[in-house]
Amino acid sequence: MPRLNSHRELEHLREQIREQRENITTTIMLCGGPGCQASQSQTVVEAFREELSQQGLDSSVRLRVTGCQGFCEQGPVMVIEPGNIFYCKVSPEDAFEIVHQTVIKGELIERLLYEDPVSGERVKTESEVPFYRAQNQQILSQNRLVDPLSIEDYIAAGGYSALVRALNGVSPESIIGEIKASGLRGRGGGGFPTGRKWAECSEAPGDEKYVICNADEGDPGAYMDRAVLEGNPHLVLEGMMIGARAVGAQKGYIYVRNEYPLAVKHSRIAVDQARELGLLGDNILGSSFSFDVAIARGGGAFVCGESTALMASIEGKVGEPRAKDVHTVVDGLFHKPTVLNNVETWANVPSIISNGSSSFASIGTESSKGTKILALTGRIKNTGLVEVPMGTSIREVVFDIGGGGINGNSIKAVQTGGPSGGCLPVEKFDLPLDFDVLSEAGSMIGSGGMVVMDEASCMVDVAKYFLTFLQDESCGNCLPCRVGIDRMLEMITDITEGRGTPGQLDLLAELGETISETALCGLGKTAPNPVLSTLRYFRSEYEAHINENKCPAGVCKALITYSIDPDRCNGCGVCLKGCVYQAITGEKKQPHVIDVQLCQKCGICRSECKFDAIQVV
Amino acid sequence: MSPLAIDQILDGRRSQPDQLIEVLHDVQEKDGYIPEEAMQAVSQGLGVPIMEVYRVASFYKAFRLKPAGKNVLTICMGTACHVRGARLLLDQATGQLGIELGDVTPDGLFSIERVNCLGTCALGPIVTENETYHHHVTPGKLRKLIDTIGGQQPEETQHAQTQ
Amino acid sequence: MQQYVNVNIDGAIIRAIRGTSVLDTAIEYGICIPHLCHVPGLTDIGACRLCIVEHVVNGRSKVTTSCTLNVEEGMVILTSTDKIRKLRHNLAELLVAQAPNSRAIQDIAVRCGVTSVRYPFRNADCVLCGRCVRTCTEIWKARAIGFVGRGKDRHVDYPFGIQPEFCKQCNNCIQICPMTITPCNGPMKPGEEYLCGQCESQLIVADETPGSCVWCELGEGFACGRYA
Repeated sequence: MPRLNSHRELEHLREQIREQRENITTTIMLCGGPGCQASQSQTVVEAFREELSQQGLDSSVRLRVTGCQGFCEQGPVMVIEPGNIFYCKVSPEDAFEIVHQTVIKGELIERLLYEDPVSGERVKTESEVPFYRAQNQQILSQNRLVDPLSIEDYIAAGGYSALVRALNGVSPESIIGEIKASGLRGRGGGGFPTGRKWAECSEAPGDEKYVICNADEGDPGAYMDRAVLEGNPHLVLEGMMIGARAVGAQKGYIYVRNEYPLAVKHSRIAVDQARELGLLGDNILGSSFSFDVAIARGGGAFVCGESTALMASIEGKVGEPRAKDVHTVVDGLFHKPTVLNNVETWANVPSIISNGSSSFASIGTESSKGTKILALTGRIKNTGLVEVPMGTSIREVVFDIGGGGINGNSIKAVQTGGPSGGCLPVEKFDLPLDFDVLSEAGSMIGSGGMVVMDEASCMVDVAKYFLTFLQDESCGNCLPCRVGIDRMLEMITDITEGRGTPGQLDLLAELGETISETALCGLGKTAPNPVLSTLRYFRSEYEAHINENKCPAGVCKALITYSIDPDRCNGCGVCLKGCVYQAITGEKKQPHVIDVQLCQKCGICRSECKFDAIQVV
Repeated sequence: MSPLAIDQILDGRRSQPDQLIEVLHDVQEKDGYIPEEAMQAVSQGLGVPIMEVYRVASFYKAFRLKPAGKNVLTICMGTACHVRGARLLLDQATGQLGIELGDVTPDGLFSIERVNCLGTCALGPIVTENETYHHHVTPGKLRKLIDTIGGQQPEETQHAQTQ
Repeated sequence: MQQYVNVNIDGAIIRAIRGTSVLDTAIEYGICIPHLCHVPGLTDIGACRLCIVEHVVNGRSKVTTSCTLNVEEGMVILTSTDKIRKLRHNLAELLVAQAPNSRAIQDIAVRCGVTSVRYPFRNADCVLCGRCVRTCTEIWKARAIGFVGRGKDRHVDYPFGIQPEFCKQCNNCIQICPMTITPCNGPMKPGEEYLCGQCESQLIVADETPGSCVWCELGEGFACGRYA
């Protein structure tokens, strides 16, 4: 494609693309996100391609492989327009039927429709699916409109018109003013007002400035940035261009997790495409604005989510945070003023510039505006990506969208904010999603991970899990983080292995406070949160481990025993054959028994038993 | 790794110390790990002291300093996978193969690694075997997977007497 | 030309050289802030955190290390509040539990009021203060040793674990190491570690005049500004 030299040429291109597509009657939007790919969506794509070409429908039916559509649990999922028909758990064998029945004849295929678990009825359209109905998808909905590898799709959907606006007629100061007025706060965890960050960087002395997109989503249990960058890379790029224009940066970086190969690939392709069209490079769209973006791959270090560590990493150095007595908006990447925002924050920018700050600010609460994408996972029915207005209660997210616990288990807590966040008990589920409210309650929105826990989740074990994670991910530079976390883990391990003492609970709390106060960087300062929040809300579980040598949830290996419920066991022998340690004995068709001396608690028998007869106490 | 291959990787990036991590990624993509000679060559090529190259390579989890096994089992230890029992999977893999996390079996057939999150939390627990994703994995499924790759026939446990 | 700023440290208005750290300034004026990883003339990395102070801004105080904080006009610093002493005590306790076999660290623990330790002792032979690494890198420009690994695996090592040819064998890394300065008399056999109490005279001084400099032996060994 030729380079675009003015915004008129961009509009002309947009018209051209739309005209070319006028004869497309049906669009099949098949999810190619990582969740659906893990459910073999790639083979479904191939089956469709073949079937469509055999039927000679190549030119009138558009098969669009999109980024993540959110409902990973039901993957591979697809939406057919017109009609907003939603099919889930699609297999390659279904392609033939879908093309013939639905695409050609316009008839629905009952068995592929989503079944509402409450009413038991099949739901016809995507918008009626309860999982989507309660959402307000401002950003995720755009994933459906584009093939992430196609800049034409993005342009046809109105893309890069916010950039045009930012280059023509709107001054950098008014861009910043607009972002400030929108109330947008950083989606990466800190919740710092984006407009203020931009203003400080814009005012910082120096001609050489940078913008960075943080796509090093290191939070375990969170993948919203992955979905947005993979699914709609141009949206993120456009946000970065507008930010660069506002603060006066000439160069940008996307710092992306190497564990996300698709995100690396898609953002690289998007940058090349934008460069080819002249949307990146010198004199963008004929203006005086020049800006380019490079992709830097992360090295697999959670601590690189911390701004100074991330910048060190882009500089090719070890990702160790430095003391931040001077902010990175003044002294950042290569010691130049730098704006660092995460993927979701950048993705919110274009629509604020296009539609105005008031439309963004009309959603959300007093102090937290707009929508937030959450990764709803854990022991819950409907897992996936969810986008809701700020201010939505946790209860609505977990029960209305998430559909409640799996196997009818009762939900006990939700962990928000990843390793820096905390666990909130079910009594706190009426709290709204709001940066300030959640942090007062001892947790945080963070980047938006929401891991649901039920009666089978041990909160001490969860705290131990996070400490193990953090001990591994600490850079190791400062004493409280390196040694303090290690000591906390030592105590928690004692507790989960039956050596705990009551005094350790107070020491855990005191040490936690010390680490929070004295650690060098954000990782260390927030590291004790998972322990402090579980101590605050689930102290009784800790006490059960210490005083009764019991793990109420049946998780901590040292404190549990496996046994077989004779009433449920029908002696099928599956567990006996599966047991590597020969710990299970029994006659055929007679209840079996586990020898607790031999049992290594590996869990195989429990996962193999079809009668739920293996009990853990 | 041949000097030629290193030269290709360094091409256009010589004397640019900020390219260190990108270059190491490329070396690993080619070789599967980062050998000592490669680090020496990268140190020379980029003008970064060898101490710093070694330090960076040892700091980031993405870099392997020794060759991996033929089949890399990566167990996702993200929070979502954890609450669905990923710990049991790690125990299963290490117990069954008799090696520790990060090690390679003596026959070079397997290595076990962990990753903090693969971003497919909805389908956890996840285990990847080289590039292939296995979702909703249980200890039993993992054991069969390892048996199958290892060439042994998995024990016939599915169709025992089901009356 | 040197420029000066006025800072308030523990109520004393001090005329400090712009560009110096709060820690250097405090030591220069006889206000002793315990520290371990700080060595005059080397870059500060804020590793040991012992030199924490309260930095009061607009009535709100923030805990930060004084070695990484540069003086600014009108700055208000509190080096020895109850809160700081408690936190410093907890840090010193973590440190001495890690390496009771170092005289220097036992001294620090005593200076910070640690009389008992609530964690099992470990016999670490390195506390990762990084004095050696910075001396090697910054003074000798040798870069023969460095931090390797991260988190709990972080340790000081040569490249690939082998002493390189370019090591100047100056031995400065050993001389500046807190694990080797004036070895402790107390027998620190593995499994028999304890707080030796040899330093109790210091403890009394520290108790009676908290926060003041006692011209400790530690300071001499560490080339504290008082002895420079």
